[in-house]
Amino acid sequence: MLHRRDFIKYSGLGALYPIVAGCQPSVRWRPEAFRRKDLSRVAVLKAESYHRPLQDVIVRGIKLCNVDVKGKKILLKPNLVEFDPKGVINTNPAVIEAAIDSFRTLGAAQVIVAEGPGHRRDNEYLLTASGLYDVVKQHRVRYVDLNSDDVRPTPLRSSFTNLRQLYLPENLYNADLLVSMPKLKTHHWAGVTLSLKNMFGVVPGTVYGWPKNILHWQGIHGSILDINSSLPLPQFAIIDGIVGMEGNGPLQGQPKASGVLIFGDDLVAVDATAARVMKIDPQKIKYLANAGEFLGNLAHDRIEQVGEPIDKVQQDFQVIDDFKDLKST
Amino acid sequence: MIDQLLDELVSLQNPDGGWGAAAGNGSNTETTALAVAALQSLGERSAPDRVLRGVIWLVQHQNPDGSLRLNNVTNTGSWTTALAIIALSAFPEYQLKVLEAARWLLHQEGSKPGILAEIILFFTGKSKANELNRDLIGWSWVPRSFSWVEPTSYALVALKKVKSALGDTNIDERIHQGEAMIYDRMCKGGGWNYGNSKVLDYALWPYPDITAVALIALQDRAGEPANQESLQALRKTAAETNSGLALAWAAICLNLYGQETRDWQQRIDKRFTETKFLRETKTLALALLALNGGKANPFRI
Repeated sequence: MLHRRDFIKYSGLGALYPIVAGCQPSVRWRPEAFRRKDLSRVAVLKAESYHRPLQDVIVRGIKLCNVDVKGKKILLKPNLVEFDPKGVINTNPAVIEAAIDSFRTLGAAQVIVAEGPGHRRDNEYLLTASGLYDVVKQHRVRYVDLNSDDVRPTPLRSSFTNLRQLYLPENLYNADLLVSMPKLKTHHWAGVTLSLKNMFGVVPGTVYGWPKNILHWQGIHGSILDINSSLPLPQFAIIDGIVGMEGNGPLQGQPKASGVLIFGDDLVAVDATAARVMKIDPQKIKYLANAGEFLGNLAHDRIEQVGEPIDKVQQDFQVIDDFKDLKST
Repeated sequence: MIDQLLDELVSLQNPDGGWGAAAGNGSNTETTALAVAALQSLGERSAPDRVLRGVIWLVQHQNPDGSLRLNNVTNTGSWTTALAIIALSAFPEYQLKVLEAARWLLHQEGSKPGILAEIILFFTGKSKANELNRDLIGWSWVPRSFSWVEPTSYALVALKKVKSALGDTNIDERIHQGEAMIYDRMCKGGGWNYGNSKVLDYALWPYPDITAVALIALQDRAGEPANQESLQALRKTAAETNSGLALAWAAICLNLYGQETRDWQQRIDKRFTETKFLRETKTLALALLALNGGKANPFRI
């Protein structure tokens, strides 16, 4: 019997995956083009509520990861995919606000917030409904719609899809550090959606449409890998796990209070740690397992975890039936 | 209010004659087409020299095959060709250019899953998981990919506007199937989102901007129950959404359906004072069209 995550490969959203996969070259990346650290530091810090000051936590997380932001242009990329007043779909604006303050406090030359929502074209609605509009207005931060930004052709540095290049937003080229700020969520096609999957939002809708269907046709896992391997600037991640989402994410799952923020400059290590916080085995997430071979560190012994020990903050995130085997034992 | 929007839109025109998504962005076909259409609809108030420069920008971005590029960076034909047709249709002197674009558009088709995918779907009993008919072909965002509601709607408006001049025997079938595709993707209770009424067991909700665009494409079938149901959904979701984009599309659409839009125009005015529509060119242009009422509405078929 075919599982649902297999089904997506064959459905209207990912119909040609098996054919595409069969045509892929055996060498999907050039080893000399990627250099993983021997050890990647990931900070897991407690943050119980959006209503308490978060700036100190975020400053501490950035400092623990030894990221120098002084004089740099910072692009904050939250997850703002859709709005549902009853749901917890998006990165909470309180976390984004605290991140703006934190990077400024640490000497960043410029902070902008940028996103390319995957379903909706109505930025004004998403910003005002989610509360992000008040944050960017109050803090005089520029919001950039990555869906309609100017674009630049960018050759892909790995070949998990049949795409050879992607048009990426100019603002990625104008920034010094791309900060992926996803929500801690399960995902009904990919297993989990964290800092790597969040990068779907940098792919411009004016070129690739709404939804960014061509990425699904090429395979979600492969697209995540090819996008992340080809980003033209260094990255950092801050995962909003204060309240995450379990079950039928990324849109219709249930809130899951986890009380953590997770930081790191190796997005694979950050996502692997976040998956472990969710009691999901990162080795069983296809794109994470592949990413751990060349993009970053996945294995326990190559991640230096600081802050809270995982077992102190771990939560049992429920997954849809087809993903039961992703749970760690 | 119209003067304010006009000034704002004119101020956003780039030196090359086109308009970008927002101030500082390079020109692109979508926003240039909408800006040209909005300004042209104003008649004598339209800053004709500005309009002409926009028209020239569009024509300069037409490929030899008739299609229009997205912007200065991409070279291939794009979904924005339909919007350029809609905008340029108001200029008889460019009719040949319009027809070249329409011929290209007519031959663009969304793709559907391959035979292998269909076999697997059949044997797993999950062929209805999305509750959409994959055999109905409309228009896609990216050539040779799946059909979606918004590009299909723009294509339908464009082709319906030039249908008699184009005279292609295939056009009725393409229009008919495009309409069927849109109706097939309608959400339960009316209205449309990007083009999926249901994923797995969960019903998805309509978006006002896309609902309006779809209804505009189907304006010549106003009496259909699905249209009437979707008009109700449009009014409800646009009022709840309360963004410049949603309100402007709603007013343009309702006007085409012969309905009173003064209340919607007042909401647009109020919203502009609150958010300035994030100074997005597209919303400014659409708001101008909405406030200008039914006069020379470029989306009228």
